[in-house]
Amino acid sequence: MASRETTVFGTINQTIVVLKIIKHYQEEGQGSEVVQGVLLGLVVDDRLEITNCFPFPQHTEDDADFDEVQYQMEMMRSLRHVNIDHLHVGWYQSTYYGSFVSRALLDSQFSYQHAIEESVVLIYDPIKTAQGSLSLKAYRLTPKLMEICKEKDFTPEGLKKANIGFEQMFEEVPIVIKNSHLINVLMWELEDKSTVADKHELLNLSSSNHLEKSLQLLMDRVDDMSQDIVKYNTYSRNLSKQQQQKHQYLQRRQQENAQRQSRGEPPLPEEDISKLFKPPQPPPRMDTLLIAGQINNYCQNVKEFTSQNLGKLFMAEALQGHN
Amino acid sequence: MSRFFATGSDSESEESSSADEITPKAPGATFKQSLLLSDDEEDTKRVVRSAKDKRFEELTNLIKTIRNAMKIRDMSKCLEEFEQLCRAFLKSKNIVDKEGVPPFYIRLLADLEDYLNQLWEDKEGKKKMNKNNAKALSTLRQKIRKYNRDFESEIAAYKENPQESADEEEEEKEPEDSGSSSDSEGEVSSKSFLKKKPEAPSEATKFLKSAKGSGDESSSSDEDDDDDDDEDWGSDQSGSSGETSDKEEGKTSSMSMLFLKKAQDTEKPGVRKEERKKKLKQKERIEEEAEEEGGEEAGGGWEKVKGGVPLVKEKPKMFAKGTEINTAVVVKKLNEILQARGKKGTDRAAQIELFHALAAIAAENNLGQGILVKIKFNIIASLYDYNPNLAAFMKPDMWKKCLDCIDELLDILFEHNNIFIGENIAEDSENLAVSDQPFRVRGCILTLVERMDEEFTKIMQNTDPHSQEYVDNLKDEGRVCGIVDRLLTYMENKGSTEEICRVYLRRIMHTYYKFDYKAHRRSLGLQGETKSEQDQEESEGEDSAVIMDRLCKFIYAKDRTDRIRTCAILCHIYHHALHSRWYQARDLMLMSHLQDNIQHADPPVQILYNRTMVQLGICAFRQGMIKDAHNALLDIQSSGRAKELLGQGLLMRNMQERNAEQEKIEKRRQVPFHMHINLELLECVYLVSAMLLEIPYMAAHEFDARRRMISKQFHHQLRVGERQPLLGPPESMREHVVAASKAMKMGDWRTCHSFIINEKMNSKVWDLFPEAQRVREMLVRKIQEESLRTYLFTYSSVYDSISMATLSEMFELEMPTVHSIISKMIINEELMASLDQPTQTVVMHRTEPTSLQNMALQLAEKLGNLVENNERVFDLKQGVYGGYFNRDQKGGYQQKQSYQRGMLNFTEVVSCFIC
Repeated sequence: MASRETTVFGTINQTIVVLKIIKHYQEEGQGSEVVQGVLLGLVVDDRLEITNCFPFPQHTEDDADFDEVQYQMEMMRSLRHVNIDHLHVGWYQSTYYGSFVSRALLDSQFSYQHAIEESVVLIYDPIKTAQGSLSLKAYRLTPKLMEICKEKDFTPEGLKKANIGFEQMFEEVPIVIKNSHLINVLMWELEDKSTVADKHELLNLSSSNHLEKSLQLLMDRVDDMSQDIVKYNTYSRNLSKQQQQKHQYLQRRQQENAQRQSRGEPPLPEEDISKLFKPPQPPPRMDTLLIAGQINNYCQNVKEFTSQNLGKLFMAEALQGHN
Repeated sequence: MSRFFATGSDSESEESSSADEITPKAPGATFKQSLLLSDDEEDTKRVVRSAKDKRFEELTNLIKTIRNAMKIRDMSKCLEEFEQLCRAFLKSKNIVDKEGVPPFYIRLLADLEDYLNQLWEDKEGKKKMNKNNAKALSTLRQKIRKYNRDFESEIAAYKENPQESADEEEEEKEPEDSGSSSDSEGEVSSKSFLKKKPEAPSEATKFLKSAKGSGDESSSSDEDDDDDDDEDWGSDQSGSSGETSDKEEGKTSSMSMLFLKKAQDTEKPGVRKEERKKKLKQKERIEEEAEEEGGEEAGGGWEKVKGGVPLVKEKPKMFAKGTEINTAVVVKKLNEILQARGKKGTDRAAQIELFHALAAIAAENNLGQGILVKIKFNIIASLYDYNPNLAAFMKPDMWKKCLDCIDELLDILFEHNNIFIGENIAEDSENLAVSDQPFRVRGCILTLVERMDEEFTKIMQNTDPHSQEYVDNLKDEGRVCGIVDRLLTYMENKGSTEEICRVYLRRIMHTYYKFDYKAHRRSLGLQGETKSEQDQEESEGEDSAVIMDRLCKFIYAKDRTDRIRTCAILCHIYHHALHSRWYQARDLMLMSHLQDNIQHADPPVQILYNRTMVQLGICAFRQGMIKDAHNALLDIQSSGRAKELLGQGLLMRNMQERNAEQEKIEKRRQVPFHMHINLELLECVYLVSAMLLEIPYMAAHEFDARRRMISKQFHHQLRVGERQPLLGPPESMREHVVAASKAMKMGDWRTCHSFIINEKMNSKVWDLFPEAQRVREMLVRKIQEESLRTYLFTYSSVYDSISMATLSEMFELEMPTVHSIISKMIINEELMASLDQPTQTVVMHRTEPTSLQNMALQLAEKLGNLVENNERVFDLKQGVYGGYFNRDQKGGYQQKQSYQRGMLNFTEVVSCFIC
């Protein structure tokens, strides 16, 4: 196991997993609401095979005493009875315009990965999927981030020492979706039967709505980022000011001691400087990192979207010209 | 029994310790009390005993027993009684605190101590005493020593007086001969009354100076009376004389003398009592006949003994039958009555009655107007005094009386031109009698009228505004105004400028808040319906506007106190605003610069200022100056405390923050109900003007990140409306405005109009304006115009061009109006369009960025900020402070680089949108 720790090269999904996730979102998720569930499967060589999944039940304020762990155990036991892989290999989550890089995700993925090394998180983007291309991505925390999380050291120095940027926080794991041959045959048949109208989604030219939403989210994050930077700025200013004071104090003390020595008096006792100058509370930098990651994510999304849309627009223009 | 003793003590104490000015009261009362009880046939004069009387009687009774015990040398009894006495004295502590230690008590203490000391020194006698008595004697001696320490000073004062015992002896001897004189008592006392009259005037000033003086004066002037009467009473009942003699007995310890005297006395009482009764009955009859005037002459004598007791009806205020009533006498009486003023236990109602009676007498005897005026002044003053605390208001009958009195006073002043009144006329330079010179009377009619006005306000404040009573009270407003008016004419002739200013302000205060319907009708060119009404109108004289103008201008020119001028200006503005003279009102407000320093004014003026601002705002609204209206009302409405700021009620919320005292003060500041400004009207005007400003503004700046709201309160209402889970048809005024705002947002002026102007809103708000129809028309027009603007702002991006004819049809506005509105918008660069003259259309330029572009711009701005902040962090790290960061600079730089990479992404995206 230990050797395989970092060698999960790819995940193989069964169609049933994808369909179940989509179904779950369609049934329960709306708008910015997020649905989550458990992935089941097994590790084969250096691949993680996800063969099944089940959703977490949506729970409201009313049943606060609902025991999730209990539910999961029950579920897995039941699944074993029907001869389904019952190994816990990760979890899935839906997302809204790609906004999934958050503290909550980090924490839960950390605890998963801490317990089960191979576990991944599958991010399903229903909006992109609705536009005509299935968007399903698998992520893992990088070993570096795992270490930081283990130490719980989110101070600027800690992060600096770890030398981690937002790019190195998550690693994407390639996904391969595999079907049984029978299903593949069915798919071919279905594709033949489906009418052209069903595929028009792909050619939708309207862009502003999607872009506006993305921009709105992006702007919020940028605001957060600005705030964090300002906070960090004041922190470092305070720190340097204090550093200066400390320095001055030490110098003065040294001078005094030198004088005393020349007079033949005993030097002043050394005091605990850290007590005199309490260093200011450093702001946690993890959130900033996450925000940066999120911003990056949004940007990628927008970029992808715009490049696709531009292509479509050019195509449409050419078409118009042709007519 | 006790009464003689008490009376005796009275005169003595005044001689011995003139410090207690009030003490005489007590014994006096007791004395009278016991008199009534002993002469049990006379129930006509029964008086309810006060707590003080009761307590003191208890004390005197105890003292009596002690004295008796002393006489028979019964020490144990003496001790017992003394303990009781101490307890009783403790019980009456609160009375004693108020009145001072009663002198008879002190006397007993002193005598007892002396007596005990004597006994103590008399070794012989002590040996003879039985064991019980001896023991009691020693305890008592110790006790009284201890006890007397508390009263050292009083006892010393008592002992100091050397004459006292001699006096008493004299008194003791006299009874018999005085008895004969008291047969003709009526004559004697009336004589004595007359006798003391002449000396009174000289003492009048002293009288006024201090209550203490009064005590002295009366006692000394009544000295001879006292003696007579004292003897009278003394001979009347043997017991009391025995009591008095106790004192000497205490000192001389010669019992034989006392017993001898007693023996003498005891023969008399029966006979004397008979006589006495007869006399009293006679007196009663006379009294009844003369109705408290002449009848008291006998009583006048003996009541004097009380030493100017400021008490009850029977006070010696009226004149003896035969007295020649002249000014001096009346003034003396007046002063006497005045003495009692403000003292405790004075029956204020009775005092007013006394004044009235005095006035009647003065009038009857033709003493001239001077004295009458003076008495009137005093009547009114005592009417005001009737309520001891400031918060209470006058009772209706008192109020009526007060009004009548002031009316009469004014009558007199108008009739007689030769009366000068003024606050600064000294008491002794008054001229009340000499009729060939002008009368000079001290007193200020202006102050009285001002006070009356305040009382009126107080009455109105304390009446339930929704009751019939309020209406009834309000009817008096006419009279109050009448009085103020008359005073005004009077003052214009006689008063100084300052006084004129004051009375003008009063007049203004009664005028400014009233809408002048007659002038309004006249200005509209409507003639009165019938001839008679027209006549009335003509006879009514000046418009209130003219009056206000005249009075205010006088005050502006002449007034030297800032407050009156400020009030006058505010009232003037209010009046202008009320009558829709917007420009005058506004100019006056701006010229006065009151906005700058009104916060330094006292609360009532601030309330007036708030009222004025509100009225100004409402006036602006009526005139269609929506923006001005909004600005004027903003301050009042945004605080959410309009009610409090206008002095129209207290907010519940503040209840726990203020204590009862503050609440009282605030309550006194409240504006009477009939002057209230309708708060719903105020709020509606504010909200509607906010709507007319805010909705187009919101539409114009939909994407502006830095958009500020014009009216917070309006937004609040909108949010409240949005939060509603189920939107029913609007009920309240606010809901109507919110619904209208929503309609206006869509450019739907018809719906908006129907929400703002309908049955419900008419009855709630619009009908309250004097020119309701005109206001409604103005409002409709404003709604149309603003809806048009909103429509253009909201939907301009949809149109390439739009025909003005269509717009004019949609909003039911004339073409030129539409044209002017659109031109204005184009000039102000609110609308990116141009007018196409030949086709009468507006051609949109489409230079306004789309929402996406707007967002991209915003994002770019934000990113700029972000980069700037980032630079700053970087600067700090590269700075020269220590080497702490330099070590890790590489890491920091890398981080920075990574940000920049992110930044590159953004810029790419942004540039992508822009192109």
